[in-house]
Amino acid sequence: MSASTSTPRSPLSSSSFSNVNGLLPNAKKYEEINVIGTGAYGTVYKARDLLNDGHIVAMKKVKVALTEDGIPLSTVREIALLRQLEAYRHPNIVRLLDVCHGGQSMERDQQLVLFLVFEHVEQDLDSFLKRSPGPLSENRIRSMSYDILSGIDFLHSHRIVHRDLKPHNLLVTRAGRVKLADFGLAKTYDADMKLTSVVVTLWYRPPEVLLGVSYNTAVDVWSCGCVLAELHTRAPLMPGTSDSEQLHCIFRLLGRPSRFEWPDNVSILPDSFPDYPPKNLADVIPNIHPDALDLIRRMLVFDPAKRLTALDCLEHPYFTDEPLM
Amino acid sequence: MPYWYYDKKDLQNTPSFRDGISNENENRYRKEGARFIIDTGSKMDLGYNTVATGVVYFHRFYMFHSFRTFPRYITACCCLFLAGKVEETPKKCKDIIKVARSLLTDQKFSTFGEDPKEEVMTLERILLQTIKFDLQVEHPYGYLLKYAKCLKGDKTKLQKMVQMAWTFVNDSLCTTLCLQWEPEVIAVALMFLAGKLSKFEVVDWNGRIPKHNAWWDMFVEDITMELLEDICHQVLDLYSMQAQPSGGDSPPIPSTTKPPKNEKKPPSGTPPTSVSPVAPVVNKTATPVKNGAGMGVGMGMEPRPELPRAGAGAGAEARFPLYGAPPGAYCAPPPRLPPPPRLPPPPRLPLPLVYSEPPPSYPPVLVPPVPPPPYYPPRPYYPPP
Ligand SMILES: Nc1ncnc2c1ncn2[C@@H]1O[C@H](COP(=O)(O)OP(=O)(O)OP(=O)(O)O)[C@@H](O)[C@H]1O
Ligand SMILES: [Mg+2]
Repeated sequence: MSASTSTPRSPLSSSSFSNVNGLLPNAKKYEEINVIGTGAYGTVYKARDLLNDGHIVAMKKVKVALTEDGIPLSTVREIALLRQLEAYRHPNIVRLLDVCHGGQSMERDQQLVLFLVFEHVEQDLDSFLKRSPGPLSENRIRSMSYDILSGIDFLHSHRIVHRDLKPHNLLVTRAGRVKLADFGLAKTYDADMKLTSVVVTLWYRPPEVLLGVSYNTAVDVWSCGCVLAELHTRAPLMPGTSDSEQLHCIFRLLGRPSRFEWPDNVSILPDSFPDYPPKNLADVIPNIHPDALDLIRRMLVFDPAKRLTALDCLEHPYFTDEPLM
Repeated sequence: MPYWYYDKKDLQNTPSFRDGISNENENRYRKEGARFIIDTGSKMDLGYNTVATGVVYFHRFYMFHSFRTFPRYITACCCLFLAGKVEETPKKCKDIIKVARSLLTDQKFSTFGEDPKEEVMTLERILLQTIKFDLQVEHPYGYLLKYAKCLKGDKTKLQKMVQMAWTFVNDSLCTTLCLQWEPEVIAVALMFLAGKLSKFEVVDWNGRIPKHNAWWDMFVEDITMELLEDICHQVLDLYSMQAQPSGGDSPPIPSTTKPPKNEKKPPSGTPPTSVSPVAPVVNKTATPVKNGAGMGVGMGMEPRPELPRAGAGAGAEARFPLYGAPPGAYCAPPPRLPPPPRLPPPPRLPLPLVYSEPPPSYPPVLVPPVPPPPYYPPRPYYPPP
């Protein structure tokens, strides 16, 4: 792998424009150390920033299919927006340090390899929870919850829906702050670069997505509700193994929705599920702070329109009654 | 994050300069490239934002590459092509090339090579890398309209002033101002200039507090009169430059081993650090604006450049209607214009006189400008630090 970029200040001279491919010099900017994670849409490497004292970074390699008119508009738009968001330096969003594309050698036919270079963060929330020797303290849970919701609210205020919030996509810094990662490239991902072999987790998926109806920012609030529960129990709240299994999990917790609550234009009908009675969330998450319980309840609402927004969540008594540490 | 602002020294010691191209010629290439983007964009009914974004890419690109390596017109096409995608007003590459073909001489178009579309596509990747995928660019237009809303005074005069400032912003694209100052600063300076020329003196504005000496103190802190004047002069210089011959020649392609002709010092490796690219425009300089300085008659601009005067003839007229009156006012595509070399030189006038003259004829503007809704409305939720 070699992420190479043109060396800006010393352009190579070339006598003919047709030789322009030679103008992307192979000055290596980043040196791969090892693979951190392989997701459905690309591989994330730990790498050294060679032009920056070998500083450790995380590089995500994304393959983009070129169209007849070059780089797809959706990809250009998404990267532009990611870059623009970066100007805000939101504390709960992972820093995007650089974007570059692989040299010509990397580009096979109609495909462009993009490298998104992020700050390297210690670990993701999944491993953080797995490594935690015991339950997290109440304060730790509360401040992590606030971090996640702040990041979500920031994205939503810029009209970005994360769509795939889960412990794997939440990074935990050494100081214990949480940062959102892996968002903003939904359309680029959708294009066709999906690796079908990778299993996508369904545990954080809201009912409207599972039922295939249109969705909006409320999906992230649902996923976040699942994550908040998991911060307490250190185990997934609803570990379904298939789309329908996941719906069963949801209805076992919330109770089966009535026909009036059921969205229109869905091929599956509520009758195809057993008439699960709602469970008491307090039994599922023992010893939870009553305010936290109330918040999660209002996030895990079947009807997306009735869910709290991320901003509502930030203003919930769980966060406002006592100062955050 | 990439840094996109340069001081004057950097703007002289560019890759082109180090490649043996004089500053004078480089500025001409920049101007011609920018003008070509504007013309192509207008012909394709692209909006002012897309056009301006393309021009900014163009200027940034040549802070990293030489005009000798990358002929300006093909770069210009590519910049417009990419800007179209970013601003969600995409145009097909082949259509842009078609328009370019119609606007350029055979000789100029020959730089597009055997397969122009393929060249532009290849260049797209080089361009993206060069501008570091930093695609979202802000322009003075939005600020212009925002600032104008706060100014009090005669509506018609204000309108006229805004319209004139709008034209100056259009024309400023042909300078390297976008490589020197944030759009807020450029908007203030060119409104200041338009205010002078249209004799619209801003004495009161909404949101005025005693601390403010001038209206722009509300928006940009610590902007000096020197800075305002410097910016104005850079735009005004464009009009006097039209007297100079401006041929269609490209820089000669040197043999690869040829040493730069006029290299004076080693290339500077780092961009200037005086202003943050993302920070809001504050504390630009330590000098506060003097109370109302320059708002009156004796504005104290150095008598440097020459200005076009009212009714300076076809040439001056042709300069202005170009692609943009404020939004809402503009509907028909602009007329095709004769290229600069054929324009008669604007008459030279001493400054004090000129500043009391209205500028050359402007297109009539009927509707107050309405800013287009930004695609991603920047909600000032988390202000940049
Ligand atoms: N900035 C980073 N610092 C450290 N590790 C990271 C960083 N970004 C991502 N990772 C790790 O790499 C893994 C995969 O990254 P990412 O989520 O961006 O890819 P993905 O292809 O979308 O994977 P998935 O489908 O699992 O979400 C993450 O789960 C995380 O453990
Ligand atoms: Mg991921």
